[in-house]
Amino acid sequence: MNTTGKTCQQNLIGEMGKRWVFLFLLLEFAYFSISASGYFSFDTVQMILFYGTEIFLLASAELFVIITGGIDLSVGYVLGFATVISSKLMVVFASLGISPIGCILISIVITLVIGLIPGFVNGVLVAKLRIPPFIATFSMLGITQGISELLMQGIPAKNLPILAGSIGNGYLLYIVPGQALSFFHRPDVPRGVRVYEIIPNVVVFAFLFIAVFAFILKRMRFGQHLYAIGGNIDAAARAGINVRKNLVAVYMLSSFFASLAGIIYVMKYITGKADAGAGFLLDAIAAVVIGGASMFGGSGTVWRTILGCFVIAVLETGLRMMGTPTFDKYILVGVILIFTVLIECFFSNFKK
Amino acid sequence: MKKTIVILLAGLFTLGIGTLPIASGESKASADGKITLLFMPGVADPFYTTMEKGVRAKAAELGVDVIVAEYPKSWGPEAQVPILEATAARMKFDAILIAPTSNDALIAPLKKLYNKGMEIITVDTFLGDGDYSKKSTYSFPLTYIGSDNELGGKLMAEKLAAMVGEKGKVFCEATNPDASSVADRVKGFKAGIAEFPEMELVGVEWCQDVQQVAQEQTLAALQKNKDIVGIFGTNVYSAQGSYQAVVNAGLTGAIKICSWDATQELIGALKKGQVDLVLAQKPAEIGALGVEWAVKFLKDKSVNVPKKIIPGFEFFTKENVNDPAMEQYIYK
Repeated sequence: MNTTGKTCQQNLIGEMGKRWVFLFLLLEFAYFSISASGYFSFDTVQMILFYGTEIFLLASAELFVIITGGIDLSVGYVLGFATVISSKLMVVFASLGISPIGCILISIVITLVIGLIPGFVNGVLVAKLRIPPFIATFSMLGITQGISELLMQGIPAKNLPILAGSIGNGYLLYIVPGQALSFFHRPDVPRGVRVYEIIPNVVVFAFLFIAVFAFILKRMRFGQHLYAIGGNIDAAARAGINVRKNLVAVYMLSSFFASLAGIIYVMKYITGKADAGAGFLLDAIAAVVIGGASMFGGSGTVWRTILGCFVIAVLETGLRMMGTPTFDKYILVGVILIFTVLIECFFSNFKK
Repeated sequence: MKKTIVILLAGLFTLGIGTLPIASGESKASADGKITLLFMPGVADPFYTTMEKGVRAKAAELGVDVIVAEYPKSWGPEAQVPILEATAARMKFDAILIAPTSNDALIAPLKKLYNKGMEIITVDTFLGDGDYSKKSTYSFPLTYIGSDNELGGKLMAEKLAAMVGEKGKVFCEATNPDASSVADRVKGFKAGIAEFPEMELVGVEWCQDVQQVAQEQTLAALQKNKDIVGIFGTNVYSAQGSYQAVVNAGLTGAIKICSWDATQELIGALKKGQVDLVLAQKPAEIGALGVEWAVKFLKDKSVNVPKKIIPGFEFFTKENVNDPAMEQYIYK
């Protein structure tokens, strides 16, 4: 009886170890629901998702690289680079007289293709020339920032197609209770009538991509190879995995996600600028770490990274709605990061 | 697999409990009928903190509540909009006084709040081209209250020209072309300088509201054009950075400096002779006017609010900087 009690306890602690981020998130949400007026609502959840989109994408980008034991510091400025390219392209195409939807689609495709270049260079530097990822991607941070500033010449793109803003700030579904229900288009109602807006477009867009890559990471051979490379790069090579090719691919994937985040930024804020993503990088890395991925590689999942993003976003929105100054957030994120690592250590020791 | 299910269920749970209070979420507004305003500054700098003082003083005088949102740490919609939305979700404000950080990007989020029944007043910067009198996608704000930036830029050009004998090369350090106020100052300055045939504007640089960048850009401009005779710094950080660059280059006195925004640092520099002219906007007055008009309109919706309200400027020079009457225009 004594032994079964012990295994029960062990199981419980084991489960806690796996799920503490989630528990922490629930606690956080509960706390703010009680102490911040207006927090406990569907709108807040949507707001967290809407303003978190860039972080969700950048954190996923960062996760792939971190699984292989690397790091990508350039994602923030690749995001900025993508905002500049796509906004400039939209303006150019619009001036050529192409229809707004055409402008937007062509610009997105071109931006996503160009957005692969920084990642390709990063990958080649890391995989072929053996430059440490920290240095390679740090250099790319400077290079992409410089190129974006050159392209901008200090002037953010203006007069983008209005459609871009309506897509970026639009919702899938609008409901006016008892009166109207429409998809994608906000019904015209008198001011003051409450319109329920359900699920922002950009969130759907972002999570489609994240879901696809979560599947690839978990179920496809490419994903398994990344874990193998991060676990032990020599063993992976000996097992016949093409390490170089996979590394180049993973840095390109990271850039791709950053460009996607850049496009979303343009659709949301209908402007593009070099330093658009500067503030997002540290939040993205923090989210990956809080989500339990090891900075040494070999572990981490997309879902837990998303939970990590939520921990930060829920905290940020909550503090704002309570009216707490910004700087408290930085301190709290720092403290949570340290605790994450300590807790991970505690539970991994316990398992032994 | 089990984990995925748990997470999915929990996600649904979160959404589910979130949906419940949908109807009650925003009904807390001013239960006692007291007017509550939201002040949303553009960026953390002394101009907006001075404006906040004006807002608070006027609100106390008129007996209305005011909540000041967190100051964005950088200038841009990605910093300001999330703060605006989170703060505005706290309750149904009667009116929002905001300095939009982009004249395009803020239209959608402000329109959303306007549709929820909150009145919008833009202070210092504006939406679109700032003309709310004709119907457009951005004409919903009650009014724009801010300096006539184009006129200010032109006046600075004229005063700078007079100081340098109406000839020579001048340079302009600005912040961000996406800030409508600063863009207009530059426009006015360009037009002003163009009226003097022997003067030339050799460059306009944008420091994105980072003082150190302003300093570096000014230094680079001084190295490129060794015969610059005058510099116009268009706001707090560009002015502070550009005069510092001149001080560091040892060119104090040789280059005439006109600074926009009367921070204590710039007034101090004026006293030391490192700056020659400081334009003071009236941020406290802008804030106070915002509160005054908001309250006037909220109490009586038939009040005709002018679509543009323009408080004047004050100019600080070496002669009047110690005048006690001027003291009130320094940003504190």
